[in-house]
Amino acid sequence: MTPKPRVVLDAAALARSVRRIAHEIAERSDGASTVVLVGVVRRGAFLAERIAAELARTSQIQVPVGTLDISSYRDDGKGAPGDPRLLARDIPFVLDGKRVVLVDDVLYTGRTVRAALDALSDLGRAESIQLAVLVDRGERELPIRADYVGKNIEAPAGQRVYVRLSEVDGADAVIIGNGK
Amino acid sequence: MTRLPKIDLVSIEDLELPEIERIFALADGFAAALDRGETLSAANGLVMATLFYEPSTRTRLSFESAMHRLGGAVISSADMNASSAAKGESLADTARIVSAYADLIVLRHPHDGAARVAADYAACPIINAGDGSREHPTQTLCDLFILRRKKGKLKGLTVALCGDLKFGRTVHSLIYALARFGANILAVPTAGMDVPDYVLARLAAERHYSFSTVTMDELKTLAGGLDALYLTPSAPHQMALFTGDVPLDKIPAAEPPASLDAFYVTRLQKERIAATQPRPGEYVRFDARALKGHRAQEAVVMHPLPRTGELAYELDSDPRAVYFEQAAAGVPVRMAIIAWLLEHKRDAHRVSPAAAETARITAEPAPRCANANCITRFEGAYLHPRFKLARAADRGLLALRCDFCERELRVEFVGHARSHRYYRYDENLYGYVHNWIAEGSLAVFDSVKQAEENGYEPYKRGPQREVMNDAEIATAVESLADQVIADVQDLTNVSIVGVVSHGAMLAVRIRDQIAAKSGVRPPAAALDVYNPGATVVALDGGDAFAVQDRALVIVDDVINSGWTVQRAMNALWQRGRPATVKLAVLIDRGHRALPIRPNYVGKSIPTSRTDRVQVRLAPPDSGLKHHAHDRVMIYSMLEAAKSPQDAR
Repeated sequence: MTPKPRVVLDAAALARSVRRIAHEIAERSDGASTVVLVGVVRRGAFLAERIAAELARTSQIQVPVGTLDISSYRDDGKGAPGDPRLLARDIPFVLDGKRVVLVDDVLYTGRTVRAALDALSDLGRAESIQLAVLVDRGERELPIRADYVGKNIEAPAGQRVYVRLSEVDGADAVIIGNGK
Repeated sequence: MTRLPKIDLVSIEDLELPEIERIFALADGFAAALDRGETLSAANGLVMATLFYEPSTRTRLSFESAMHRLGGAVISSADMNASSAAKGESLADTARIVSAYADLIVLRHPHDGAARVAADYAACPIINAGDGSREHPTQTLCDLFILRRKKGKLKGLTVALCGDLKFGRTVHSLIYALARFGANILAVPTAGMDVPDYVLARLAAERHYSFSTVTMDELKTLAGGLDALYLTPSAPHQMALFTGDVPLDKIPAAEPPASLDAFYVTRLQKERIAATQPRPGEYVRFDARALKGHRAQEAVVMHPLPRTGELAYELDSDPRAVYFEQAAAGVPVRMAIIAWLLEHKRDAHRVSPAAAETARITAEPAPRCANANCITRFEGAYLHPRFKLARAADRGLLALRCDFCERELRVEFVGHARSHRYYRYDENLYGYVHNWIAEGSLAVFDSVKQAEENGYEPYKRGPQREVMNDAEIATAVESLADQVIADVQDLTNVSIVGVVSHGAMLAVRIRDQIAAKSGVRPPAAALDVYNPGATVVALDGGDAFAVQDRALVIVDDVINSGWTVQRAMNALWQRGRPATVKLAVLIDRGHRALPIRPNYVGKSIPTSRTDRVQVRLAPPDSGLKHHAHDRVMIYSMLEAAKSPQDAR
């Protein structure tokens, strides 16, 4: 018998998670003007925008936001091998010396993050790169960890974690469901 | 053999202002001659080659037309393609060979700095017709020419630059040139398409030049005749007003210009924006209403064309719309460039102002340009890195500007190759570094680890203390082996990779411990992350070390920032896709700069940022039981001039 999809974060809880991540970033950056956000396309990019809006609203910190599409750096055969010319990105600032916060929706094997670190280190010499994720579902295959986590959840292998965002999916939620 | 002097036009900065004026005077003459229908023959017998690795209609046709109008001939290749060229012939070889066929080469290329490379290798002059997102100097000359023609001068003009100010290479060249001629700039970017930071930083550092940025709405207010330009102080990124020495947020707003002389509108560079990116804000649109205010009475409207909706067709009949004249000026201006070259003696020796003070960095390891689209990333087989010393905003970083693509590289650790000492860079070292470049002994390092792996010692060290002795190291190694055995389900699938040099020595020790405890002897390899090409050498001799689908354990002596581990993973991924990667370190000293966490740790040792943790291990041939000289020491690195607390 397959379990029913269940909601692990509803819209309100998701919003709280984003607020808390923004708050922690503000606290740990200690007013540094060198913080920048880079969202992993696609949902990470929208989360980065939300975190930036939250930082502007509650902490009066204006943080530049860029996006990174690492599909060409992936190692699962879905993209071409890492050719920086193929890297789709919109990072309208120089990374050198910046404290980059990489934003993604789900942290799972760590392979996306590794690819993103590769891409970012190709693009410039950031002072540091931190990782913010809405959901950490564990089961890491690489020695990657997140600095800011919205929610830790345990999802059995074979199940998928879906992050739904109103910008793309019409509503906000995190759902555990069966793989398609 | 070329009949023209070897004078290259790679950047607008290659031309002195009087030289630009001379080209304009020649262009005036040619424009008049073309109007009169004269037949010219100044370039009779000359051959121009057009090498376009990227499509262009306007630039190419106007160059070819200019050469024909001057009585010269044109040769060109129908299909230069950057990717096919990358597989086959180098740009240097192509430039060299084509320069034997032609007196002049016009080059367009997708990679930043390509024109500088071609100029270095071709025997004949190279004219840059656009390289990557860098420069397009002849377009800039056309823009300046038409502006000067319409306004009678360049100095003191106020020019509003509107639209995509981020990707457009023409607009960056134009900004530098307007700054040099003493014109005022008013930037009006579409949301998210601001002038990049590096352009602003360079203007501030080299020309002490700054300009105001306003929104389209603010520009309309300005054009509507108000005396003051309203700049919202709550959005400081919208006011790019600064000088070299004052922090951004403390600078008073510049006086808004009293009137506008020109609008320069750019096209949205759709091809340089990925389809997946969020759409930029609504693009500017210019119509008759935008030109109504009395401040804009005299303002001409310019555009590099082609237009994609940002210029209303109703403007075409307005006498202030000069974009078609601007496009037409392409031919006389390019004729003038060729004629200007002919005015010089064939053996004229001229060092362009832009090429005068470059330094070739000869010491190993050579730094790599940080720009992923830099030509040195693609033609690295023969291109030596070449940098200029630049002025960094941060006193603790050495700034080097790539001579090919102009991208700045910021360096924290520098070394002197003769004394084999390394230093954390500080502004007080600037003079020394200058001399070291001159004598070819400057080395730059990403990290202390890289410096020490290259045999460099710290300039000075403070008192040392021992934090682990031989017995403690042996216990930690045994514990690491136990942790691996307990964690991994199938030891036969495990391979161990040590980071050169101490990580590799530890990898062998851990592997031997695993073999002694479990009976399974995993293959081991040494990975040299700082070697160009990041070599992986199997430590058991024989078979190549397999990465694909293996459960890898990366071993290093000390984890600090995590950059070494990131590089190690990057190097391993070039060789295959491992099933899993675990990280084992003898010592975790904290201060992580990356989201990386070791899976197995021998010992955690809290340290201060300026501490150096040094692991000393007896060489492997001295036998498993006799590691009496194994030590882990901590010492503080002394700064050249300031207290360690001030270090970044």
